[in-house]
Amino acid sequence: MAKLSRRKIAALWADELVAGHDIIAKIAAYLIEERRTDEMSLIVRETEIALAERGVVVADITTANGLSDESRTAIEKFLTVSMNARRVAFREAHDPSVIGGVKIDVAGQQLDATLKARLNQLKSSKI
Amino acid sequence: MATDLSITELSGELRDAINKLEVSGDLETVGIVTRVGDGVAWVHGLRSAGYSEVLLIEGTQGEQVEAFALNLNEDEIGAVLLGSDEAVAAGAKVTLKGTVLDVPVGPELLGRVVDPLGNALDGGPAIKTKQRGLVEREAIGVIGRKHVHEPMMTGIMSIDAMFPIGRGQRELIIGDRQTGKTAIAIDTMINQGRQKTGVINVYVAIGQKLSKIARLVERLKEEGVMEQTIIVATGPADPASLLYLAPYAATAMGEYFRDNGQHALMIYDDLTKHAVAYRQMSLLLRRPPGREAFPGDVFYLHSRLLERSAKLTDELGAGSLTALPIIETQAGDISAYVPTNVISITDGQIFLETDLFNQGIRPAISAGLSVSRVGGDAQTKSVKSVGSHLKLGLSQYRELASFAQFGSDLDEATKNQIEKGQRLTELLKQHQYQPASVWEQVASIYAVSEGAFDKVSVAKIKEAQTALLTRLWTDHKKDMQELTKGDEKISGESKYAKLILKTAQSVAKGFED
Repeated sequence: MAKLSRRKIAALWADELVAGHDIIAKIAAYLIEERRTDEMSLIVRETEIALAERGVVVADITTANGLSDESRTAIEKFLTVSMNARRVAFREAHDPSVIGGVKIDVAGQQLDATLKARLNQLKSSKI
Repeated sequence: MATDLSITELSGELRDAINKLEVSGDLETVGIVTRVGDGVAWVHGLRSAGYSEVLLIEGTQGEQVEAFALNLNEDEIGAVLLGSDEAVAAGAKVTLKGTVLDVPVGPELLGRVVDPLGNALDGGPAIKTKQRGLVEREAIGVIGRKHVHEPMMTGIMSIDAMFPIGRGQRELIIGDRQTGKTAIAIDTMINQGRQKTGVINVYVAIGQKLSKIARLVERLKEEGVMEQTIIVATGPADPASLLYLAPYAATAMGEYFRDNGQHALMIYDDLTKHAVAYRQMSLLLRRPPGREAFPGDVFYLHSRLLERSAKLTDELGAGSLTALPIIETQAGDISAYVPTNVISITDGQIFLETDLFNQGIRPAISAGLSVSRVGGDAQTKSVKSVGSHLKLGLSQYRELASFAQFGSDLDEATKNQIEKGQRLTELLKQHQYQPASVWEQVASIYAVSEGAFDKVSVAKIKEAQTALLTRLWTDHKKDMQELTKGDEKISGESKYAKLILKTAQSVAKGFED
């Protein structure tokens, strides 16, 4: 049997998740069987993209000092509109190295409004 | 009111709308590097990436490393890095630049040494041009082309007389290592300066030793040709991606002059190394290997490059782009994969032989295996009239000479032919960096082929030739300047023919044994 592409696995998984079925054990078994466990993180990333296409958005928010409720609502609203999402879920992370601002990673897209990114941008434009 | 809107307001509104969208939708598509090594990065994500599109990879120090996408698979993109792969780590963020590769083009590049991305390598100021040209650009179509009809004089007698090259032609220079391939190309560049043809030289060094390029630049400066030359240099230590890009980027620089009604000469030194660089990239991108481990599209690699050389119609400005690609063979094997490909793409080849080179016949051009398929129409009248029988005579001589080795009993006619062949061979020997102008070529060849030097020994032919040229220039400078225009047919009754013959006969007397 030809190797199943990650995109197809992700599409199947996303369909099942949206329908409310938990097939995580099956996916795991398949990956072990096919010796493709090292592709796990890529399949998860691909599944997040597939979920976003189906209106379910999982966003990674990185800040230096945590988010206020106000900005959380604003981000949720922004993602709902820009990604055309029905449901938005957050995974928050703290990273002091971003210095300030916020970075939103969502289904193969990114909004990097951190101070670190601005500084890098400034550095490369100066060169 | 919609009816009140002027065009300027429309463009202003559109700009506002774009700005608004850009601010509100700041989400950019990103991918991540999954694997990196050997100058190739594999990227996950970026579904909207196009073929040959530029990717920006965030380096470990926050810097940006450029790469271009060559493999677009369902699950990942194979991209070739344009910089060092040490700055790229797995997990790095990748974004799309939104453009395909382009390079600065224009007259600002003249006299400069640049890398395939248009960065200065000569220590001069950074290159700023008004225009940029696409590295990969489609060749001009049938309607935009005209037949090759103007000469591209190389200044090398044996080429201009026997295998003439026209503007817009692709003529391959092929031969083993150390047979003088680059020397022919350099002489051709120098000749453009000496004869003030106004042709722009673009020399592409593909993986050449940097010391060799430095020597070349020095020489061109000495000869005063550097002001009409662009050198695109890549060394052996550069990544394969730069070697691969070099000829395409340089062609984009040459095309600027072609499209602006000027004439440019491209020298690709050499396409064997280019094919090898592409093979390395292809194998690392996991493309299936074919003959000699080259990928399946190695023919297309060179055909799309050389097809960009053309002579344009008058409506398009009548500019031209001539190409002199160089191919290195192994032990004279012109039937290897890349040589046969390029031979079939080009409009002829100059074949250089090791044997001839070692015999001291330099340039070591093989009369039998070299050919120019379209240059005949481009040859100047005067050179054509004296050179028409040269190739046949020389080929016959080479054949007879090898045959005559077996015995000394030869009839008079054969002996004469061999002697004439020896004189012609001697005459066509030419030192490097000494390209000959039209009148010098015409006078030398006409004098020998009409038998004016028949009593001069073979060893003294070169001396006699120099004496003839000096005499002609000092005594008949005006006539020779007229002759250089090349419009006169040189034969029995013409004024110049008589003049050359008379001078040659009187010069020959001083060299007879």
